[in-house]
Amino acid sequence: MILDFNRLIRYLAYTLELLVLFMIQETPGLLPEVFGTRPVLVLPAGLTMAMFEEETPAMAFGIAAGLLCDFGYSGVLGFHGLLLGVLCFFLSLLVRTYLQVSWLTALLAGILAIGLLIGGQWLCFYFFRYSMPGYALRHHYLPKYLYTLLFVPLLYLLNKGLADTLQGQDKQNF
Amino acid sequence: MKDILKASSFKALVIAVVVLLGLIIYTTSAGGSFIASLLGFVSTPMQSVATNVTGSVTEFLDLDGFTKDELKALVNSLQAENGQLQDRLVDYDELKHENERLRQQLKISQADPQVEMRSAAVIGRDPNDVFFGFSIGIGTLSGVSAGDPVITSQGLVGVVTHAYATTSKVECLLSEDVQVAAVSIDKEETGVVTCNIMMASSGLLRLEYLSPDTKLEPGDIITTSGAGGVYPAKLKIGQVESVEKSDKDVSRYAVVRPFQDLSSVTDVQVIIGFPGKGEEDAAIDPSEIESGGEEDAE
Repeated sequence: MILDFNRLIRYLAYTLELLVLFMIQETPGLLPEVFGTRPVLVLPAGLTMAMFEEETPAMAFGIAAGLLCDFGYSGVLGFHGLLLGVLCFFLSLLVRTYLQVSWLTALLAGILAIGLLIGGQWLCFYFFRYSMPGYALRHHYLPKYLYTLLFVPLLYLLNKGLADTLQGQDKQNF
Repeated sequence: MKDILKASSFKALVIAVVVLLGLIIYTTSAGGSFIASLLGFVSTPMQSVATNVTGSVTEFLDLDGFTKDELKALVNSLQAENGQLQDRLVDYDELKHENERLRQQLKISQADPQVEMRSAAVIGRDPNDVFFGFSIGIGTLSGVSAGDPVITSQGLVGVVTHAYATTSKVECLLSEDVQVAAVSIDKEETGVVTCNIMMASSGLLRLEYLSPDTKLEPGDIITTSGAGGVYPAKLKIGQVESVEKSDKDVSRYAVVRPFQDLSSVTDVQVIIGFPGKGEEDAAIDPSEIESGGEEDAE
């Protein structure tokens, strides 16, 4: 019962973490701009959480992070939720089956997954709608991608700390 | 592989994908949604507090960061600007009195503006928005709806695109999606204010569809024309910086610098109602007013 309580507290901590990161990324002037861009913190947060959770909770937190991203951005809910949910599901599966959990794995997963998310964002929300897609990619999406990647190791350490401190019943038995 | 497909977690993934696809279709067609309003209820208070605190700290640090020479230069430039404005004020007062006298002669009554506005604070700027759109802390519960113009004391800054219960999304003038019918009051020339990402990065706008022999020149003031009934007439937009030849056709376009730095707006007013809203022929063309007045006098 106590061990399940740990898992509950961990999920609550993840939820709070997502809300706080969302607030930080949305607040103007809180994070310094690099080449006119700011990082999307909820993306690496969702991905690094997935590395320490089973597929279904990983997917659920991925969807939550994605929905926050959708809410802040376009008003069309579901795009980031869907992509991040699926990515987190398979990342969790990969980590539990084939990969070792380390900051290097997290960085590699971040490079691929965040690249897919921001690339998909550029393709779906910019390329088919507005002029100068090349300029937008070079001057907005690429700097934002690199800036967001900087937070992957940091959030990996934070979520590793949470997962280690608040271990669930399954991990303790293991 | 077969094990994965049979697992209950994979079934959960399939269900989630279907539900999210439905959500995308629903929000694309319906615009707002219950979930967005719910997220707004959770995030608005937190964002408001964070924005206020950040604003106060930034203001304090900015003032503290000025050197003595910078402060002297600032005072000098403000004094020079003040002198120019006082000169203009004298002209303005004379014109105001003359205008009032002519109104009385022509029996034109001053129309009641009947502009209904709501004040709001900018509570969020999403890092994914390349055109500097922002969120404000009021929504449908305060009477805001999609399509409402958003202004500051410096003029038009954007338009509400999504209105939820307690928050609204505002598309900035720097967005390619926003097009505003505009007019130069001095030169009586009309055009459409648009933007692209390259100009948005510099905080500039384009006044398109000017004739090849346009008389616009740097310093001319651009305002909304009111055509189409989307925006009220005579809202300030900006000042012409240069006039360039269009690379698409023989027309010209003017580069317009907004009076307000659109990427750092903090407090705004939302116009939720104004005379002529939604009316196609709500445009106010200065030349028409002039000829109309003459006809009345006759």
